[in-house]
This record gives sequence, C-alpha cells and structure tokens, in this order.
Amino acid sequence: MNPLMILDKLKDWGPVFFGVAFLAPLIAQSLEAGGASAPLGATPLQFGLVAGVALGLVAKLRGRWV
Amino acid sequence: MSVADVPANTESPATPEAPRSDRALMREEREIARKYLGRVPWEMVAWGLGNFVLWVSLFPLVIHGVMPLWLGFVIATVCCTLAYLPSHEAQHSIIATEGSKLRWLNELVGHVSLIPLVFPYRIAWITHRQHHAHANDPELDPDYPVHADTWYRSVWNSFRTRQGGNEAYAACLRRSSDPTVGRAAAEGAVLNLFYYAVLTGMAWSGHALEAAFLWWLPRHIGFSYILVFLSWAPHFPFTGTDRYTDTRAWKSPIGTVLSLGMEYHVVHHLFPKIPLLQTGPAYWELRDLLEKRGLRIDGL
Repeated sequence: MNPLMILDKLKDWGPVFFGVAFLAPLIAQSLEAGGASAPLGATPLQFGLVAGVALGLVAKLRGRWV
Repeated sequence: MSVADVPANTESPATPEAPRSDRALMREEREIARKYLGRVPWEMVAWGLGNFVLWVSLFPLVIHGVMPLWLGFVIATVCCTLAYLPSHEAQHSIIATEGSKLRWLNELVGHVSLIPLVFPYRIAWITHRQHHAHANDPELDPDYPVHADTWYRSVWNSFRTRQGGNEAYAACLRRSSDPTVGRAAAEGAVLNLFYYAVLTGMAWSGHALEAAFLWWLPRHIGFSYILVFLSWAPHFPFTGTDRYTDTRAWKSPIGTVLSLGMEYHVVHHLFPKIPLLQTGPAYWELRDLLEKRGLRIDGL
C-alpha cells in the first residue's frame, strides 16, 4: 500500500481527526478567551475534546459538516 | 440566409454595415486580442508573491501581539480572496510560456500564491483546463457544482462541495489524461498535510484562535468569494455551452475591483492568454463584435 492509499484510508476518519486535532483546542481556547467555563466542572480542554470528537463523528457519519 | 452565407462587404460605404462572415468576425476578434497579448504581467507577479508574503507575516505579527487578531483576520481574509488570480495567470502560462527563460517565475507564482487557499497549483491547472473545455457541462465541468439560481445558494453549494473532498474535482482528475496528474495528486496530499499539521501545531501550542482567524476561516471565506465571482457570476445562468454562450459580460453591483475583474471574464474564456488587467480594455474593443455573436451582455 503506497502512502497515498494510506492517506486515502485515513481520510475517511478526517472529520474525527480534525475534531480532536483542531476543534478541541479551538473550543477550549475560545472558552478561555471569552471568560466562559466548561459545563459539568470539566476543564476547557476536556470539554473541547468531547465536543470536537462529537462534532467530528457526526460529520463522519453524515458525510459533511453542514 | 444565415450570417455565414453573406460575404464580407468592404466596398460599398453607402450600404449599411453588411453582415460579416463567421470567419471575418473571428479574424477581427483575433486582431483585437493580439494587441493585448505577449506582455509579462509583472503586476500579477508582484500581486501573487507580495500577497503571500503579507499573509505569512500576519502570523508572527498577531502571535507576538504587534497586530490585534481582528485586524489580522480582516487582512488574512483579503489575502485569501486575492490568492487565486495570480496563480490563474500562471495556470495559463501568461507570465511565461513553457521553455521560456522566466518559466520558473510562472511556476513559482502558480504554486506560492495558492498556498493560503490550500489549493494545489497543478490540480488547479488540470481542473481549470477542463472547465475551459467543458464550461457549463453538468458532467464534465468541474466548476459546475457551484451553479445556482442565486449567489447565496452558490456560496452554500461551494461550501458543501468543499467538505470531505471535492467530488467534481476528483472525478475530473480521474478522467484526466494529463501526464502530471499523479504528481498533482501527490503535491495536493503534501499541501493538505502541511495545512493540517500547521493548524494542529498552532492549536496545541496555544494558538488555536490565531490559526482559525488567520488561515482556517479566511480560506473558507476567500474560497466562497472567489467562486461567486469567478465561477458563478460570469457563467450564470449556466445554460450555454459554446464559445459565445458559456460566459456572459455583466455589470457587477459592487464594481469591477470588488468583483475581481470578472465582469470581463468572457474575454478570458475567448482568449485565455490575455492578462487579467487587460481583459477590461479588450472587452470594450471587442464589445460590438461580441454583441453580433449573440453574447449575453447584462448591463455592461
């Protein structure tokens, strides 16, 4: 399997990777910048990870973000 | 009797202008177009490379607090919006043709100016050639998915098209017999990996907002803006598929500059080697001929 084929396989999980790698810290840092606190006593990063993974999974299942 | 049946009449000034043959009209069009060809568009070179340098410089300026994030976001959005057109000149080898001394500059502008959009130059060129060959063909025009009755539906379509890989572009690459298609795909993969690596690296080192507002969001906004003015507006209503009906001349409500010069996009489709900034003057010189050809002219 060449590197492009591996990338093609990984692309299926792209939205979840994106949720963890980018959306999670983005959500966490947005909360901090806005002075808001995460619900249920979670840290901003914990909340960001949960939200990022959830959004990514929904996007993967639907095949699109919006 | 059709226009093509009538011989060109150049002898009788008393006769009202006689219909000219298809060939004569084409010859006149080419003579006019020739006047606008052959110049190296240095302004597009400066635009492409300068725009890229300006956009890159926003990252240290914002991260080190020299520039506020909101201002960086505005400038980055403008930079992303302006990123496509210099590369478009390079895609058509307008800066320098294959084998010429400045060919390296053509390719440099082509590749570098598109980095803010994360749009690989070679993929852009292969797909854009197909757009020219099959403009408005629902099956073969890779830009057809942006067609819509209104500009805002087109924005929505373009945004949805960009998610999870652009299927129309992927199909176009699969159909392509271009010998560089494999290299184009590899370069596309590298550019995308680089983009996601930068977003991830910045986000996990505490700069997620900077990554979002200097690259992620500006790229999406810029892409949508470009697609409205380069793909939707000039080809609306997406019905004609021949040389004189696949593109229209149109008067933009926001003016030529904010429309990225695309009111005259028809000149580009007729004569793709004319530099962007020459398409306006060329249009005004060609206008009467194009009107005779039945070109759709909406208020221009």
